[in-house]
Amino acid sequence: MTATAPQKKRSWLKGDSITTLSLLLSFFVLCIFFATQTEFFLTSANAANLARTLAVVGICSIGMTLVLISGGVDISVGSVAALSGVLASLFWLEFSLPLGLSTFLALLCCTLVGLLNGLIITVIKINPLITTLATFSIVRGLAFVISEGQTNQLNNAAFTYIGRGSLVGLPFSLILMLVLYLGFAFVLRSSAFGRNLYAIGGSPEKARLAGINVSRHLLITYTLCAFLAGLSGIIIAAQLASSAPRAATGLEFTVITAVVLGGTSLAGGKGSLLGTLVGVIILRVLDNGLVLMEVSSFYQDVARGLVLLLAVSFDQIRLGLSRLRRGST
Amino acid sequence: MKLRTVLLSLLLAFAASLSFAQECSTAKDNYKIGFANLTEDIVFTQLVRESIVSAAEGLGNVEIVLADNKLDGATALSNTENFITQGVDGIIHFQTDEAFGNVIMARARNAGIPVMAIDIPMPGAVFFGADNYNAGRLAGEALGNWVNTNWDGAADAMLVLELPQSGPIPAARMQGMLDGFQDTVTTKLSDEQIYRLDSKNTQEESFRVVGDTLPSIPDATKIVAITINDGTALGTIAAAEAAGRKDQIMVVGQGADPSGQEEMVKEDSRYLGATGYFPENYGDKLLPAMIDILECRPVAPAIYQDHVFITKENLCEFYADEQAAFCKP
Repeated sequence: MTATAPQKKRSWLKGDSITTLSLLLSFFVLCIFFATQTEFFLTSANAANLARTLAVVGICSIGMTLVLISGGVDISVGSVAALSGVLASLFWLEFSLPLGLSTFLALLCCTLVGLLNGLIITVIKINPLITTLATFSIVRGLAFVISEGQTNQLNNAAFTYIGRGSLVGLPFSLILMLVLYLGFAFVLRSSAFGRNLYAIGGSPEKARLAGINVSRHLLITYTLCAFLAGLSGIIIAAQLASSAPRAATGLEFTVITAVVLGGTSLAGGKGSLLGTLVGVIILRVLDNGLVLMEVSSFYQDVARGLVLLLAVSFDQIRLGLSRLRRGST
Repeated sequence: MKLRTVLLSLLLAFAASLSFAQECSTAKDNYKIGFANLTEDIVFTQLVRESIVSAAEGLGNVEIVLADNKLDGATALSNTENFITQGVDGIIHFQTDEAFGNVIMARARNAGIPVMAIDIPMPGAVFFGADNYNAGRLAGEALGNWVNTNWDGAADAMLVLELPQSGPIPAARMQGMLDGFQDTVTTKLSDEQIYRLDSKNTQEESFRVVGDTLPSIPDATKIVAITINDGTALGTIAAAEAAGRKDQIMVVGQGADPSGQEEMVKEDSRYLGATGYFPENYGDKLLPAMIDILECRPVAPAIYQDHVFITKENLCEFYADEQAAFCKP
């Protein structure tokens, strides 16, 4: 595998750019299709609704993009998101801590889960899929144990503002998500950490021989991924003004679909946050359009599955072409 | 003479007890009853389990053997076999998979063990549980009456937050709510005014699908919502609030669990109420019925729980301890 992001001289019509352009084209085609099918799709109310509901999957997808670029995967993000809401309500309602501090502590705990994932993967050398599958189960179980299976209301205006509030006419959660995308896109493209992550995803062994501390990079990546998943969980809790241990069930699959759809390779070493953002928007528009068209929810599940299948197929085709190209040079 | 009468009575009583023992081979002084819960992850089922354990302690001659069906038919079958191995006298099953009902009942019948089924019927088992259709009707009628009083007997649209993948039982609940509303409200809703949405039994999904549907009914200012449980009701209200249309909606649900109660008692709440299922009383009805079966007394093939529509007004009659802050000013 070759790392593709850190190249300095590249035609803008190659690699990631083509992927992003084709994604944007797909997005516009999808929008035109839904606009012709339902008069309510291109309305300001629907646009506001879409903007309000992008952040949960969007923020979590940033972390997953980093992890997939590094050649790993994190299945535990949905459970971590559930845990963050449950912990915030525990600290606030049971321990009577201020809600701001409760939220901070909840995020800290989620970050520690990521650190644990990273330690198991880098120190004990257990496969990331198995490691995060185990933490997926442990963390979800913990969420149930801590909450005793109960939904707890989090009625606090400042807290719900995170999920429902607006700033300069835009949803606060959307602004938060866009700032995080800008920040992490900068880190990925312009920092040594970002470039090293692509190199590790391309070939961990070559990256190690090149003097990159692979373990430290992976540790940071899984920690960041869990932190961002925790932040998504806080946004869910703020939108619903409550926390539930069953929250974010299946979030991991939606997030992986969005990231792979956005052109990040499951094999590692390739991907961009711009692609991920477009992937997130496409998935959300697809869900929204199908609901507006009053399509049965069973067909919505089929559509989502098909999108995942298409995204993975494109990934495989891209991988094959890249191998072919390397073979010919 | 007196002595002769007493002796004769004793003799008759002894003969009667002998014939009873011959006719009712399952009658004993002490019983061991297996209870396999639906899952331990839901407050409702936790309360069912607690009520059965508490009722057994009250009876004094019943030992309960506990198991968890984990929402899985194969696990329920395995639990049945474990109960048979442990020599239980009767089995109370709370299991979700109708397809496994025949196999479970065949195993129990071969072992000569009577079975009671909670909420989900099994062929040959005595049914105990919710009267789903009528429980639904109670909520629908209450919503219809509210519309008659507050919105001049007419609503603009109805959101039906259902659970299509779970088959006929939740469907009966939803149909009861719909029928109850339509039979009560002055101006019936047409099919075009009714939006059927798949809640997937979660707050988040309700939040998403209601958020996606509201833009398609921009002119509706009197929206009613009937929901499968308290969680989906909370998600519906949160979506309306996020869209700035909270005052345009009134919601009813099923369950009246603590999170639902908390929503009802809020000032200017849009949660009119929910039908109570009182899982905390299940044990008091279930165990005496099981003992009647074991002692060969006649038992109705279906025993239904009594339901009450819980609102802010009557909440304290049933949940004074749970809502102490509201009930004891």
